[in-house]
Amino acid sequence: MISLLSSVISHIPGWDVFFQAGIALLIPLAVSRIYKALYSLVGSGRAVESPGSSAKKRKGQSDAPVSPPPQARQGFSGNYAADLQSIKSAIGRNSDLHFKEFTITRLQKQAVLIYVDGMQNDRILNLQIMQFLMLEATADSFSPSGSAGQQLPFSQLSEASDLADFNKSVLYGYAGLLIEGLPQGLLIQPPEGDSRSLDEPVSEALLRGPRLGFSESLNENTSILRRQGRSDQLEMVTHRAGNRIQKDLVIAYMKDIVNPELLREVESRISKLDIDFLAESGYIEQLIEDNYLSPFQQVQNTERPDRVISALLEGRIAILLDGTPFALIVPVTFSMLLQSPEDYYERWLPGSLLRMLRFAASFLALMAPALYISFISFHPGLIPTELALSIIETRQGVPFPSIIEVLILEVSIEILREAGIRLPKPVGQAMGIVGGLIIGDAAVNAGIVSPFLVIVVAVTAISSFSIPMYSAGITLRILRFVGMGFAALLGMFGTILFFLMICSHLTKLKSFGVPYLTPVSPFRARDWKDLFFRAPLALMKRRPAMMKTQDSKRKS
Amino acid sequence: MCRRLMPLILCLFLLTVTQSGCWSSKEIEDLALYTGLALDTGKLTKAEQELEEQGVTYSKRDKVTATVQIVPVKTPGMEKKGGPQPLHYLNISGTGDSVFEIFRQYSIRNERPIVGHHLKIIVVSTELLKRQSMEQLMDFVLRDNDIRPSTMVFISQSRAEETLVSKRTDEIPSFHLRDMIQGQKRTSKVMKPVILSELDALMHAKRSYALQNLVTADGETEFTGAAVVKGDTGHWIGTLSQEDTECLSWLTNKSKAGAIKAYDQDNEPMTYEMKDMKSKIKARIDGDDISFDVSIKTEGRLIETWNSSSDADSTEYTEKVEHIFGAKLEKMTEKMMEKLQKEYKADVAGFGDALSIQYPRVWKKVQDHWDDTFSRSKINIKYDLKINDFGSFTE
Amino acid sequence: MFTRTDDRITATQAAVFLNNTVLGAGILTLPRSVSEAVKTPDSWLSVLLGGVIVMAVVTLMVKISQQFPGKTIFQYAGTIVGRVPGAFLCLLLIIYFLIIAGFEIRSLAEVTLFFLLEGTPIWAIILPFIWVGSYLVYGGINAIARVFQIIFPISIMILLICYGFSLRLFDINNLRPVLGSGILPVLSGLKSTVLVYTGCEVVMTLVAFMQQPRQAVKAMLVGIGIPIGLYLLTVVMVIGGVSIDSAITSTWPTIDLIRSFEIPGFLFERMEFPLMVIWLMQMFCNFCSFFFQASLGISQIFRLRVHTVIYLLVPVIFISTMVPKSVNELFSLGDMIGKAGIVLFLLIPLMLSVIWLIRTKGLKQHV
Repeated sequence: MISLLSSVISHIPGWDVFFQAGIALLIPLAVSRIYKALYSLVGSGRAVESPGSSAKKRKGQSDAPVSPPPQARQGFSGNYAADLQSIKSAIGRNSDLHFKEFTITRLQKQAVLIYVDGMQNDRILNLQIMQFLMLEATADSFSPSGSAGQQLPFSQLSEASDLADFNKSVLYGYAGLLIEGLPQGLLIQPPEGDSRSLDEPVSEALLRGPRLGFSESLNENTSILRRQGRSDQLEMVTHRAGNRIQKDLVIAYMKDIVNPELLREVESRISKLDIDFLAESGYIEQLIEDNYLSPFQQVQNTERPDRVISALLEGRIAILLDGTPFALIVPVTFSMLLQSPEDYYERWLPGSLLRMLRFAASFLALMAPALYISFISFHPGLIPTELALSIIETRQGVPFPSIIEVLILEVSIEILREAGIRLPKPVGQAMGIVGGLIIGDAAVNAGIVSPFLVIVVAVTAISSFSIPMYSAGITLRILRFVGMGFAALLGMFGTILFFLMICSHLTKLKSFGVPYLTPVSPFRARDWKDLFFRAPLALMKRRPAMMKTQDSKRKS
Repeated sequence: MCRRLMPLILCLFLLTVTQSGCWSSKEIEDLALYTGLALDTGKLTKAEQELEEQGVTYSKRDKVTATVQIVPVKTPGMEKKGGPQPLHYLNISGTGDSVFEIFRQYSIRNERPIVGHHLKIIVVSTELLKRQSMEQLMDFVLRDNDIRPSTMVFISQSRAEETLVSKRTDEIPSFHLRDMIQGQKRTSKVMKPVILSELDALMHAKRSYALQNLVTADGETEFTGAAVVKGDTGHWIGTLSQEDTECLSWLTNKSKAGAIKAYDQDNEPMTYEMKDMKSKIKARIDGDDISFDVSIKTEGRLIETWNSSSDADSTEYTEKVEHIFGAKLEKMTEKMMEKLQKEYKADVAGFGDALSIQYPRVWKKVQDHWDDTFSRSKINIKYDLKINDFGSFTE
Repeated sequence: MFTRTDDRITATQAAVFLNNTVLGAGILTLPRSVSEAVKTPDSWLSVLLGGVIVMAVVTLMVKISQQFPGKTIFQYAGTIVGRVPGAFLCLLLIIYFLIIAGFEIRSLAEVTLFFLLEGTPIWAIILPFIWVGSYLVYGGINAIARVFQIIFPISIMILLICYGFSLRLFDINNLRPVLGSGILPVLSGLKSTVLVYTGCEVVMTLVAFMQQPRQAVKAMLVGIGIPIGLYLLTVVMVIGGVSIDSAITSTWPTIDLIRSFEIPGFLFERMEFPLMVIWLMQMFCNFCSFFFQASLGISQIFRLRVHTVIYLLVPVIFISTMVPKSVNELFSLGDMIGKAGIVLFLLIPLMLSVIWLIRTKGLKQHV
């Protein structure tokens, strides 16, 4: 008994172990504390609640009005002079605003056409609208009982009963019409600003596939989507967002495919957008994503209409914002970031090969420098003898440990890449060559880095370029540096921990309720035929199971 | 307050971790890889002698001289292109009575610590193996965490350190020796290499075994024959000749290649090239007597004959030649068995294995003194040699 | 429901979960421990036999768990044997889980220190590992099951590739004679083989989380069958590759087997690198599973929030990791765990089911 007791006592670890145990407790507590603090700090202005808050709280909050209380509505009085005066006092100071007052001859009524310079086709404005209004319009057209819109021969005509709305629309580019005796403003002829011609998307170039990308105009973008084919199920719903400057955004989906619950979720998040101005769809992306502290993007952005339409057919939802060629697709899974529309346009064997190549490339882009560090600095015993010998020979005279060496080259490559985007195209290419080839060679000759490392870094850089999504490439770049840190600290063990951490994080991550790693995990065998390899089209009879679509069959 | 301090504390902690971290980090170029290890009887090197005269030594008995081959040699600064090629390796030796201590002793002479991850071969000299047992010598090597069990073990007739020296400057002797094993595909005179994990098993089972023998002459090292190590003592007891080794390889099914040369009726040499070979050992128990039936089946072609009068096509001739080769094979095998049973009294040909598989109960009884029992057992050898090919030249 | 918030796992996930809980430290040490006990090449028979026994026990555990749908052992033990004895039993189980978790990390740390990071202080290996583990466990059973699902195919594939390459050393004679000394040594090896299957107690909580508890028997049998098969393969490969004598003498025989050959010209000349990688990942799964079970148990018995329990358990696990003083003590701790495991996982399900049977039968008579 005594011996048992003494052996127990002898096994009680020393104070240092208890100290370490204390640290073991404190660090995760502190980290989670900071995480939560950060979340509530930044998360307050966002459309999504922090994951820490419980479901009950979320319910309570969603009932509360999110948008600021609307300003008091001011309608048209019906008194022509007063209305005109109030419009003038509200927006009359704009020098590009024109008030064209005239008299409708047949009725002898005063009217004013209000428009902004450069937003309207002057010819149409002068010749047709003015001509009609001044000379041809009769009493029938403005009979107070009927709706004005039905009588006037303008295809795009809407009525504005709210003065502030009317003002906004006029300044946005509509031609506004105010007629004596009519208690509302008429908005005829939407803006016709110049837009650029449709180009091939720069960020997602393909060899095979339509050379058509979205442009900055929302109308054009929706029409491009419509022009993809005839369907009565493609539904596009316009929402307005932005507190100070409002912008149109369109939620597009296939009515008979999309999961209604997903649609509701997207709409609710869109309606909760609370920001002055949405400059680009990236604003929306950041405000509606599930976890903003994650390095991984949870919304896909694309310039390609074909990509959008095929996503819609999988049951996803697209969000198009006015003023940007980038449409958003939700929900997104990790594998989507490594897929390119070309996979489907090419035959299935080359498509599958390219896809697997991309998976391998993304692994390299993430892990190669970390592996290099752990092999060079920690585990010379895990590489082949001949390789070890040649590495030793090439690293003779390199004064830095491998982590510094890798950092030097990686950082300069990153800078180079960043510089290449800024520079004009022809110079940029020259820079790439000068930077890549000459700096690499010079660094080797100067004995700062070893030639073997140049290979590793070059392969890493090329691999990260092979990822079809630009923003996914950035994610991998960030994580690469984290991985290098882990490797520099704990070698192979650290690298594995890093991998496990990413796995743990990814499995927890969700994009609009869809686990980020589907179909790998949770395992959905049905979706595997479009994951690492792309099955022949004839075999892809069903839509992805993860989307829980209303209609799961692709074929009749 | 606490909330603001937290990140600060965390940062400080991370800083200390990263500053004191990278504990095991050791750049690969700061390490010296040793690819070969030679163990000899204790003999002080010249440098050591001089040092000892100056009184520089530590408490030890000079039992073992361990030589390691370090690659690659550090070249100062940028290497000049062209010019005479420097040696790619460096051999350093130390003497003492603990292999590990000798290894650590290198560190006071060398700027880079030596690591054994890439050790390829271990050569032990027969002289040393007469005095020390294999278990003693291999103990450190088996315990060490760096050294892989795939390391091959050889025996050297002369001093083992000489095998790690080569006249040619463009090759590393330890790699050269490792690659020479490839010759096994061509001739059975090269044995299947014994790696550390096999040696470990053999030593643990107290079985006798044969290791490839090395001989150096004029700066060149050759594989010749096999060294026999007695299981119960772990000492070297003798060498098998090249032909014996060949027979041994055939008998243990370790090799299918090889050639048999015999003299025909006109005393002209002719050679048989083995294409296929299968041997089988069958134990037979008769009371307390243990005997073995060995059958060797081989097929091959007549590849060379100096006798121009031969009439290769006839069946009669084939039979005659087969008979001559068979007789030669029989003589070779008998010679080897004689040596194993009578001279060395050591079973290195796997008869014990056969018995243990076929009669596990009998084996249990004789296991502890198997080498004795083996030397007394009767062995019948049967041949089946077939020539079914005369090459592409039929005259 | 489009977004799922409930903690339910599919049958596949449950099977993978069980597999990753059981398949762990044993991969590296099983060949030695079983060979030491058996001393003949028949050790693989012991593994097989032990597997059959464990399968029977697992079936029993599933059966009893199915009587209480949606409830874990920590919840239904009290119903069967009464509140206080039930809590005592569950505490025993929790302590057992904690000790295993510590044991797993410690053996991981020992292997890492020996082969990968010589010279690193042990806490620097253990602490990050526990932290990453608790990050995963924090996500609940769904996150854990998903990570397992990622790691499972990778580790199985690489393990099989490693063994495939080790075929070059394989010699069937090393495995012969079969039953040369009769069946007795095989039975004596049974003790140490049952040890490697410790951890299958998680079945008693796992069934509660299953979406379709009716498939539980099948899923759990598959889940335990895979590790049995892999352990069998490990023993066969190691003994066939380096023979029983070498397996007994080396501390980590499987690593030694993989280190016994080089594949010149292959990208990794040395297969121990991938083997170590998947083994570390497998140990991570093991640890997370036990960590999860323990935190779940404590939170259910004492009605605490799981997340609080997870934080509190981190230092406890760390201390339990640091208790063994040497590798030898670690191995003897492993033996003790094995013995405790036999008692616990034979005793608990048997006792519980017997008592349950008596109770229900008794009730029926009353009615």
